[in-house]
Amino acid sequence: MKNYIIRRLLTLIPVLFGISVAIFLIMQLIPGDVVTGILGIEETPELRAMWEKRLGLDKPLVVQYINWISGVVRGDFGESFRTGAKVFPEILARFSISAELALLACIVAWIIALPLGVLSALKRNSISDRIVRIIALLGVSVPNFATATLLILFLALAFGYYSPIRYVSFLENPLVNLEIMLFPAIVMGGSMAGSVMRMTRSSLLEVLRQDFIKAVRAKGAPESVTIMRHAFKNASIPIVTLVGMQMGILMGGTVVIEQIFSIPGLGQYLLTGIFQRDYPIVQGTVLFMAFIYVFINLLVDIIYTYIDPRISYS
Amino acid sequence: MKRFLTLLIAVVIALSAMSTFAENAKTLKIGTDAEPIGFDPHTTPAHASIRIMHQMYETLVELDDDLNVIPELAVSWEQPDDLTYIFKLREGVKFHSGRELKAADVKYSFERILNPDLGALGSTPSYAGNIDKVEVIDDYTVKITLSKITAPFLASMSSIYCSIVDSEAVEANGDLLRADGGTGPYTLGEWVPDNRVTVNRFEDYWLDGYNFENIEFYVISDSSARMSALRTGEVDIIIGDSAMLSIAEAAPNVDVHKIRTRDYITICLNLNMPEFSDVRVRQAISLALDRQEIIDLACDGQAEVSGFAPASMGHWAVDVNEHPLYKQDIEKAKELMKEAGFENGFSVTCTVGLNDHIRNSGTVIQQQLAQIGIDVTVQNKENAQYVDDWKNHDFEMMICQNGAGSDPNRAVAFFFGTGANANIAEYSNARVDELCELGAGTTDVDKRREYYTEAINIILDECPNVTFASPYNYYYASSSLEGYSPTLNRPLDVRNVTKE
Repeated sequence: MKNYIIRRLLTLIPVLFGISVAIFLIMQLIPGDVVTGILGIEETPELRAMWEKRLGLDKPLVVQYINWISGVVRGDFGESFRTGAKVFPEILARFSISAELALLACIVAWIIALPLGVLSALKRNSISDRIVRIIALLGVSVPNFATATLLILFLALAFGYYSPIRYVSFLENPLVNLEIMLFPAIVMGGSMAGSVMRMTRSSLLEVLRQDFIKAVRAKGAPESVTIMRHAFKNASIPIVTLVGMQMGILMGGTVVIEQIFSIPGLGQYLLTGIFQRDYPIVQGTVLFMAFIYVFINLLVDIIYTYIDPRISYS
Repeated sequence: MKRFLTLLIAVVIALSAMSTFAENAKTLKIGTDAEPIGFDPHTTPAHASIRIMHQMYETLVELDDDLNVIPELAVSWEQPDDLTYIFKLREGVKFHSGRELKAADVKYSFERILNPDLGALGSTPSYAGNIDKVEVIDDYTVKITLSKITAPFLASMSSIYCSIVDSEAVEANGDLLRADGGTGPYTLGEWVPDNRVTVNRFEDYWLDGYNFENIEFYVISDSSARMSALRTGEVDIIIGDSAMLSIAEAAPNVDVHKIRTRDYITICLNLNMPEFSDVRVRQAISLALDRQEIIDLACDGQAEVSGFAPASMGHWAVDVNEHPLYKQDIEKAKELMKEAGFENGFSVTCTVGLNDHIRNSGTVIQQQLAQIGIDVTVQNKENAQYVDDWKNHDFEMMICQNGAGSDPNRAVAFFFGTGANANIAEYSNARVDELCELGAGTTDVDKRREYYTEAINIILDECPNVTFASPYNYYYASSSLEGYSPTLNRPLDVRNVTKE
């Protein structure tokens, strides 16, 4: 197991290297550059030359890349072109916010999806199954941003409510922090719940049809034990895979939700960075997100071994 | 005991409510649309930063609503000759560090702006670029000598790019991106990126009437979320747009503040194209437009018909409502197209981007130009791509929103002078260039008006750009605010504003 984890971590290196090259090149290739953004209509050749020199953009691309990547290896992701603030500490600070949001969204999704998914599988083709499936379809098909905007408007118009505008971290004030995170988590969790619900239903149905379930029932085990201990546990592998993938997608999905709910997370940081063509911010954040995504995948693979002892990586 | 406990809880709730209320009345919360990118007034151009820097920094002079130059850090000034300005500074003005502002700081500030290594936005001739030297006469007198006569100089000294900064703050921090070296009514407080910037009242400020202890600027980029925050009382003022107007007007607790701007929306034509190199085609386009219809459909009716010297330029403005090319006349337009050899029209691509007004106008203009046979394909570009195309003059027809500025030299020379920075149509007219030279070379206001009016009329006749509207700006405020009346130059001026 240990060897497997080490091997997986080692394969991370070429993956991250590839991503670093790709994102560096993409930032160079997309139209619009940071100097234009800074100077706008006031741009003159002299001012441009001066800013390019200051930001290190006058050097050849290879040199720029080497300067950046050698800093990254040492844990220095550079400084924002615009504000001059160090990128890495900012990424970490904002990651904790986005991760909290993603985790809360997952919790919301589980609370909604697992019981309903199980219910839907057990009462297959009943009215409740159909209702659950319609809800799931809505969750999957209505885009996040639409739900988010509608929810904000609805709360403001119907109840005169707007979540606290002044962001505080969980450690500063847990209650206010949870109040800020509540609706974004519901929106994200709600849409995630749709696919988890469908996956739970279909995978549980499949397991319920298998022979060992008949054997468990024949043994005289109570239905709750049959479902929870035997069927659900065996059905959970695809669900865990899905949740793992969703967690990664959630980190990306926070971009839109953070923007709408004004939560200063990693997504918001990335988006502001992209709009302002702030290369160090975009490159650093994308690289970091890629790392997290790959890392979550690894975590999911490890969790498999606990759910299904037949899986082993030795 | 039970009674005592109930009473205690009630008192605690009441006290906390009262303290929240008192806290609220001392803090003004503003919902803005974008994240600031730092607070160095000499190098930071973003609107999101500038509106906060206006609370922190001051300039030698400022402009009133009629664009007259009025005192700020300088109480008076004289001009012994066309090249020399002697400013008398206000005594007792303090930097936020507590140190008094002296003439040496003015000298330092302009030397910083003109230092080629800084790349300051104010280093171009539109601002301080023509300064030859700055001399300290005494602690409160400073003499600025220009290298050439620059009529707009005094007005340009009111730009935030020409702010007077604290030399010690600059030296201590390297720059002012995340530091504060100003003399304004508020000092930089906490900055939580992508959430808020707080500025705190400067107790030694030279003017009174600043009732709020803090102003908090919140970034709420989604406009409907911003409006919801205002309606529910989470913020007191929001930066708005015309699309929110109907919601704002329906809300009982929201006041709408509409301000004329010096911006205008215009169709830039690429004069290097054979079609547009013919002045008759350009005039036909101008005649084919129903400007009010574009405003109604594309700008929600929240703009006025305007040329490129809009009404808000005060005595410099040129009213286009009587101009023959500003009235729709399809027959005349068709005739001009025929004369120019384009009886059957032609196809052209129109680049749009940046904001909804520009994007929406593209579609309306497409319909209107179809009437004279011009087949317009509207191409919507991502912001940076749009700006790149603008910069590289890479377009056939492009809808732009420009700022005419506070001096006609900006409105005319900067956008229409041969080879000028923002002359993306690559228009060139020797007489216009000459008039701009004359206008910039004299400080006689009447003569300047005469020169620029002539230049503006030539450009209106030749239509290198076909301008149609000047949009309004919107600020929406909670009706619990007393005394808030935003103006174009000071939209977030909170002096003498109170909150119930």
